[in-house]
Amino acid sequence: MTDKLEIVPERDVKEVLRRYITENFLSRAGLEGLDDTDSLMEKGIIDSTGVLELLGFIEEEFTIKVGDVEVIPDNLDSLQKLTSFIQRKLAHAGH
Amino acid sequence: MDFHKEILEINCEKEARRISRFIRKQVLSMRKEGAVIGLSGGVDSALSAEFCVRALGKEKTIGLVLPETDSNPVSEEFALKQAKKMGIRADIIDISPTLEGFGTYKKRDEAIQTIFPEYGPRYRMKMTLPPDLLERDSFNIYTLMIDDGQGNAKSARLNKENLWNIIAATDTKQRTRMMHLYYYAEKMNFLVCGTTNKTELVQGFFVKYGDGGVDIEPIAHLYKTQVYDLAEHLGVIPQILQRPASPDTYSFHVSDEELFFRIPFRTLDLLLYAWEKGVPIENAAGAMELTEDQVKRAFRDFAGKFRTSEHMRKLPASLQKSIRRGCR
Repeated sequence: MTDKLEIVPERDVKEVLRRYITENFLSRAGLEGLDDTDSLMEKGIIDSTGVLELLGFIEEEFTIKVGDVEVIPDNLDSLQKLTSFIQRKLAHAGH
Repeated sequence: MDFHKEILEINCEKEARRISRFIRKQVLSMRKEGAVIGLSGGVDSALSAEFCVRALGKEKTIGLVLPETDSNPVSEEFALKQAKKMGIRADIIDISPTLEGFGTYKKRDEAIQTIFPEYGPRYRMKMTLPPDLLERDSFNIYTLMIDDGQGNAKSARLNKENLWNIIAATDTKQRTRMMHLYYYAEKMNFLVCGTTNKTELVQGFFVKYGDGGVDIEPIAHLYKTQVYDLAEHLGVIPQILQRPASPDTYSFHVSDEELFFRIPFRTLDLLLYAWEKGVPIENAAGAMELTEDQVKRAFRDFAGKFRTSEHMRKLPASLQKSIRRGCR
């Protein structure tokens, strides 16, 4: 588990996510690298259970609550989309 | 390839003859004397039983009706009515005591109580995926819904542990049915006839060593819409033909579409066919009057479910490559 971040600039959010996805999903999918725009679903990096794991991680790591209507590919299906989504949530929460 | 909305239409009589020949051949090659089949009160098992009767005769086909506490009472009623229509023996075995002995309900309820502590005997529950994948893109995240029996409903998104706990508990229902089917089959030297259709098989909508634990799968090459067409042709009773497809596993009614498929069967089957045959997205979209985004979304869902369920369609992995007959 990564130490919680007090201040989370975009670069840090992305690196936290990259490390988590690399450590937890990439080897299971038989892949070595992850580009910012790779689709996590289409590349077989995460399945529906993986989405649940990812949700649990980002809610705990960034202390945010992800609503059911936000659990969509536009928010979660790539490193870039995830980073933007979390940045928006953090900004909205006043971090 | 030429892809159009009528592509799944089949010659029902010709197909029925082909499947009957398949069943006869399998019974002979396995040196069995008949077939036993679980009758759920749904269209897949009704059709598969019709094929067994056609292939082997009504004396060589036995139906088992295997209800449990959460089963809809009409399932048993329809199953028995279908059995009577076919003229076959149908035994009823309530599997609830076996499930209680194993702790199925207790284990499931404990998992639910970690989310809703008030959940108890008078409550009903179901799990659903987000509705209508074609209308709105979303991931396959399960929502648990409970109702206190007085119309007060609550729902919550399931996390991985809750989801797996509930599934592990409820899958014992199908595995218990498999145990009863094989008891009958071995006692009578019959084979166990499966009831999984292609729409389910490709996407993994069956329980490994549960309803997937069988000797033959006579309708595994048929999409659900073709199952309905053949069932009508063979005279399956109207109550079953008109009934929405449901797993009948949860105390709160849930359809197959709500629980797993997220697309109505007529559209789902055509899209699944297009995905399987590699029909270009633009061709599938044009033929079905859908947007390319909608087709892409469905294809992504199929690919994900196919990949996740791949192990369910295989023999257990081992280092043994093949078994050869010894030299004479």
